[in-house]
Amino acid sequence: MRGARSAKWVAGAIVIALAATACGGGDDSSSGSKGSGKDGGSFRMGITEPVAIDPYNAQESEGILVTTNLFTGLYLPTADGQVVPALATSKKVSKDGKTWTFGIKKDTKFTNGEAVDAESFIRGWNRVAQKSAASDVAYHMAGVDGFGDVQSGKAKTLSGLSAPDPYTLQVKLSAPDFEFYVKLTHTVFSPVPKVAGDAKNKAYNDAPIGNGPFKMSGKWEHNKSITLVRNDDYGLTKAHLDKVQIDILNSNNGSTLEYQGFESGQYDWARMPTPQLPAAKAKYDPQGEWLEQDTNGMNYLLPITDNGPLKNVKAREAVSYAINRDAIIKGVFQNMQSKSTTILPPAFKDVYQKDLCTSCVAQDTAKAKQLAKEGGLKPGTTIELGYNTGAGHEEWIQAVKQQLEDVLGVKVKATGKPFAELLGDQQKPNATGLYRFAWGADYPTPDNFLFPLLDTASINKDASGKVTGDNRGRYSNKKFDDLLAKARATEDESGRNAIYKEAEKVAMDDMALIPLWNRHQLRLANTKKFDNMAMDFHEDPNLAEIKLK
Amino acid sequence: MGRYVVRRLGQLVVVVLGATMILFACLFVIPGDPVGQIAGSDKARDPAVIAEMHKQYGLDKPLVVQYGTYVGKLVTGDLGTDYTQSRPVTEILAPKLGNTAKLAIAAIVIDVVIGISVGVLAAMRRYSIWDVSATFLTTLAIGVPSIVLGMIMQSIFVIKLGWFPLIAGDSFEGIVLPAITLAIIDAALVAQLARSTMLEVLRADYVKTAIAKGLPRRTVLARHIMRNSVIPVITYLGISFGSLLGGAIITETIFNWNGIGLALIQAIGQNNNPIIVGVVTIGVAVFVVLNLIVDLLYAALDPRIRLA
Repeated sequence: MRGARSAKWVAGAIVIALAATACGGGDDSSSGSKGSGKDGGSFRMGITEPVAIDPYNAQESEGILVTTNLFTGLYLPTADGQVVPALATSKKVSKDGKTWTFGIKKDTKFTNGEAVDAESFIRGWNRVAQKSAASDVAYHMAGVDGFGDVQSGKAKTLSGLSAPDPYTLQVKLSAPDFEFYVKLTHTVFSPVPKVAGDAKNKAYNDAPIGNGPFKMSGKWEHNKSITLVRNDDYGLTKAHLDKVQIDILNSNNGSTLEYQGFESGQYDWARMPTPQLPAAKAKYDPQGEWLEQDTNGMNYLLPITDNGPLKNVKAREAVSYAINRDAIIKGVFQNMQSKSTTILPPAFKDVYQKDLCTSCVAQDTAKAKQLAKEGGLKPGTTIELGYNTGAGHEEWIQAVKQQLEDVLGVKVKATGKPFAELLGDQQKPNATGLYRFAWGADYPTPDNFLFPLLDTASINKDASGKVTGDNRGRYSNKKFDDLLAKARATEDESGRNAIYKEAEKVAMDDMALIPLWNRHQLRLANTKKFDNMAMDFHEDPNLAEIKLK
Repeated sequence: MGRYVVRRLGQLVVVVLGATMILFACLFVIPGDPVGQIAGSDKARDPAVIAEMHKQYGLDKPLVVQYGTYVGKLVTGDLGTDYTQSRPVTEILAPKLGNTAKLAIAAIVIDVVIGISVGVLAAMRRYSIWDVSATFLTTLAIGVPSIVLGMIMQSIFVIKLGWFPLIAGDSFEGIVLPAITLAIIDAALVAQLARSTMLEVLRADYVKTAIAKGLPRRTVLARHIMRNSVIPVITYLGISFGSLLGGAIITETIFNWNGIGLALIQAIGQNNNPIIVGVVTIGVAVFVVLNLIVDLLYAALDPRIRLA
């Protein structure tokens, strides 16, 4: 999950929305071109070693970059949080929200010539759900009928899947979900050809045969390189680039190598190490080679709401008022970051409610003190503040600690730990105080933030009291849960979005999460040679749309 | 001699076993689940998935059993299966070991050619401008950390001038900068060592005798001086081969050279314990074997040294 990469997120500045991405491989382009530019060219970039490039286990943005270009499913996410059809020609949902029927575009093929039909989707989904696949991303299909039986090894195939005719896929769900089609933007729902075989078929895992805009040239050279070439038989709008050469770099100095590669003209796309950002911006922004974009992730302080000094909502509000986000953004992030005043990311345009968090807009020390007093956050109280080390969080954590101590007179105990240990600490039954927290979306729906992070069902305590769900703050409010359930049961999209907004307001009024800054991404792009470059939903370059100048 | 070699090879087994045991214990006792780290996920991982993976890699068994299994396989040359690719460690590391060997050999060649010639020339023209500047430059080279040198060379020759590829991978044109980076400190040390031993030998009685006997200058130099001054240098190079493996970690990281140093760093980042143990096992074995070869060479060069 890309949330993990937030460990590496860097600073960012004012929003320059890149509207160029509202296409995402739509099925309407017979002319095959938009704007200027021509076909051809070789695009070069670096990534770090992916976990998998086969849809059965692709998860972080590196692996997803390759998988989305090798496979095309029913729907695609756009950079600004929309869902557009790819191979889906129609969708129909039953009144109870439990049966979905999708029409599939006819006459498209895998690169080995095999037809892409309903069976190939069923094959792909079953392959992921198997217990032996041990897939990290299989849970995305947990709503499909029979998922539990396949995961436990009792059944071989998902009972909820059927193909009434070769180009119609019917999916029965175990609970109503009017947003099910949004989840289908995840690569785990890709179709696979017969040769894919079992999920642990290494030959296929390293050289997947798909139906996407690109195909593999040779196999995945682990820790070395992956090469993609255009799929000339692609069933939708064909890619323009001839070739994409992806070097796999050492994760310890990957962003440095990417940046140096760009500087020496060996890469056409690059991330940068945080300290180099100001210099890189000064050099490349005037040349039009600097990309910045608010993406679908958010950074928060996570307050533990069921125990400890932040149990009271006023105490949490006091903390939020005491933080001077603008000063930290200016001082620590050198203005390359934007302030967050919501729980949901601004990239989700349809539900974005700017300044919903009133305590986030500006520091107010008087209000902070008053609320702390009312919330029982006495001067001298010790607040734990956990964060993960080695990912560039030290500086702003120190600033937050200083501000809280200065304004509220409390004592903040900031403890840095390796990431895995930090996650373990949050789960402990007796956790209290604050944690550094970040979240990135798997698919463009508010539900993907609100449900896992804030629904009572996502606390999921085990017998020992350990929190096993993603709601690490233990936030629980029946009104919020009911609204979320109502939203899920609402078929109409705009009606659903209105309820999501309402739910977000409930959680915000409770200060269930303390917003800090939006996830903001910066890239260098060789716009001298290529046209139409932007970041996609996964913060990767939109390879299928890039053209030679 | 034969018995000596057998005994030394016996030591090799003990050293390799000891090293792997210590490392194995460290890696597997460190808190944190290697399986939990493979994906590095922010989200709670399904316990069923974790259990399945533990079973797959034998991590559900006690540490002693895991080590026993490891050693059992090690005897047959099997270093286990890695966590991220599920491929045999030997299969993954074999080409990388070859690449590191290429780099190390290139570095040794640079060490010998540059180091010995600079040292010998400096000794033969003692206190000349050549000697003084050689001493100055070699001292400077020893003082500069290879990571700094590597990055400076990278920014000049790769980024500014574009003469070499940034991602060396394992290409021929890519070997130049990493080999120089790896070699430079050792070359400087070899030069200083060669200079001082040479000066010592020049003062030795047998050299004076040889000159007094009226032997041609070239014969004295080749038979008496060079042969005797080179012995300590060879000893040093043998030891330094081990440090070359260590230096390779830094050099390979800077230049993305596809060798075992880079593999080790990547494996540490990925908590890929089988690769980490594998690299160290191979490293220890190579080190011990090389030391043996150096000792044998030593005896061959200097008949006074007897191995028993």
